[in-house]
Amino acid sequence: MRYSVSMLASVVTSLLLAAAPASSETVKFGLVMSYSGWFQPIDGSTIDGAMLAVKEINAKGGVLGQQIEVVSFDNKSEPLLGADGALDVIGKGAKAILFPSDFDFGAPGAFVAQQNGVLSFSGASDPKWGVAGIGNLAYSMSNASQAQGALLAEWAFETQGWKTAYVLLDNTIFYTKSLCGSFATRWKQLAGDAGLLGEDTFLNSDPSIDAQVSRINGLETKPEVIMVCSYAPGGPSALRQIRAAGLDQPIVSGESMDGDYWAGTVPNLSDFYVVTYGSFYGDDSDPAIADFFKRYEAEYGKRADVSYGLRGYSAVQAWATAAERAGSVEPAAVAAVLDTFKDEPLAIGPTTFTPELHISTTRPITLVQAQDGKFSAVGKATVREFSLD
Amino acid sequence: MNAAIQIAVDAMSLGGLYALTALGIGLIFSVMRLANFAHAELVTCAAYALFALSGQPLVMAFSGAIVVAVALAVVTERIAFRPLRRADPTTMMIASFTVSMLIQKLLVFTLGSRPKSLDPVPMLSQAVSIGPTQVSLLKLVTIAVCAVLLLALTLFLKRTSFGLQMRAAAENFTMAQLTGVRANAVIVVAFALSGGLAAVVALLFAAQSGFVQPRLGVPLMITAFVATVIGGMGSLPGAVIGGLLVGVVTTLLQAYLPPDLRPFREAFLFALVILALLVRPNGLFPARGLKERI
Repeated sequence: MRYSVSMLASVVTSLLLAAAPASSETVKFGLVMSYSGWFQPIDGSTIDGAMLAVKEINAKGGVLGQQIEVVSFDNKSEPLLGADGALDVIGKGAKAILFPSDFDFGAPGAFVAQQNGVLSFSGASDPKWGVAGIGNLAYSMSNASQAQGALLAEWAFETQGWKTAYVLLDNTIFYTKSLCGSFATRWKQLAGDAGLLGEDTFLNSDPSIDAQVSRINGLETKPEVIMVCSYAPGGPSALRQIRAAGLDQPIVSGESMDGDYWAGTVPNLSDFYVVTYGSFYGDDSDPAIADFFKRYEAEYGKRADVSYGLRGYSAVQAWATAAERAGSVEPAAVAAVLDTFKDEPLAIGPTTFTPELHISTTRPITLVQAQDGKFSAVGKATVREFSLD
Repeated sequence: MNAAIQIAVDAMSLGGLYALTALGIGLIFSVMRLANFAHAELVTCAAYALFALSGQPLVMAFSGAIVVAVALAVVTERIAFRPLRRADPTTMMIASFTVSMLIQKLLVFTLGSRPKSLDPVPMLSQAVSIGPTQVSLLKLVTIAVCAVLLLALTLFLKRTSFGLQMRAAAENFTMAQLTGVRANAVIVVAFALSGGLAAVVALLFAAQSGFVQPRLGVPLMITAFVATVIGGMGSLPGAVIGGLLVGVVTTLLQAYLPPDLRPFREAFLFALVILALLVRPNGLFPARGLKERI
């Protein structure tokens, strides 16, 4: 009996040895993303950004001398399929996985990754994508939504000098709720309770927001700025209805309204300001970001129409940088280095992680404006005060 | 006064849009007991036609939308629903879901899921003043178009021989057939009318929202379906009044609920729907031909 056990052990050992050289040739990075379905327009450029990073890093010799091999899985815009996807790519040897850029969409897969001791990256703007919500192996490349909301309030009040605001929240996803929530809190700190003239909600699929727009129109004092927390298609449609009703106040919005692919919905849109990760209109003040969008355009033969590619690129870049520094691609070792990132110069900007917080908050963020239907960079801004609650 | 005018205009324009959609659904249900969930895709495809014909004169673009919606309605009737005409209403409803999903997925497959921008009638995107009140021109036009269409449809049903046949079929399909009403013709005309109504809804809705995407018609269709249930399945006046009612109640809830309760607007709306159905299980205007016979 003892003899057969040792024989079995030697067979297993020799099998492992035989398999070892094959797996040491490449290191696997998983992409469990929405390659198809309704979330694809959001994930598409993130995927493109990640693939560009893989190509560029491989051209420079890869990670620790190994080429990065991408193993991909299409979750078909079904969040729960992400869990199958995580198992699939982990089975193929993925050491780190990039998931869709939204907590609700990416979390089912990320939990599986965490349980299997694999790193999970995302462009989710929710601080739950980290130690608190998923585990110590989850990292987000975004600026936390609460920091974005507070930053918009500070920029509107201090830089633009607007004194009264109105908040219109698309109450459909977590991101928009925390964005508008933190905007309202910070605005009241700056402008006083009286400076917030009102708050209202709608749903992204609402056929009409007439009643909400009429309420603003009926105010005794009209707000000097309107904060709209939404995303396409409901968000642009809301802007259209606001403008059609004769309200021409400046409108500010979060990263979910990034891009100009929806611009036709609101012809000649003016006085619209949105936070993004970088301006792809050829005028970003950061040469590294401007250069990124040039390389992106050269690679894919078309100009980027959202800034999300920076997040996909930076996820792969962060992982590769940390692995090089750790001298290992083992997730725990890579995570230990990621936790020490202090203003790490990634494509998306200086990025800081701590053992407790795996998302950026004070990284400078780009403001983009639309005037007469033309988009252009306004500048960069950094949040001063915010709360992640 | 100011607010009252605005709320009235909001309520009537939204109600009108729901009423036209509900009427499209009600027309089909009244003649063949089919709750056609694919009506949403008639609206969506008509809106895509408007998108494809962007830049053309409005008359051309709108004619294109009508052609697409009517053709799609007639083709789905021929391929999917005619073979099931003697089947259980539930079977037909499932078939309509199938058609709806198939068209949605085909749209995603061929045109992509990213919303596409369109502006079919740019001149409507402006505000006009009624006294001191500013309202969007589009809403006034929506109300006018709904009123004209409802009037035209009423005249068609009451004054033409085809209208008479349709009303007879709606009341008692078998009896109507026995008296010489051509079943196939009546049903095809009902589908064509329903497609035409969908094209009008698509134009008004696209002018308001400014985009089209594969699920464009779905939220409208769901609300309009609720409206037909409240109005009384199979009753055309019921569908219209149900649609108007849902639009008015939604707008009033949004306007008068306290801010903390506004996110739960739908819960209040559907509580009212349940209440209405408890009091009148067959809807406010039950269709005569629909009562259960024992």
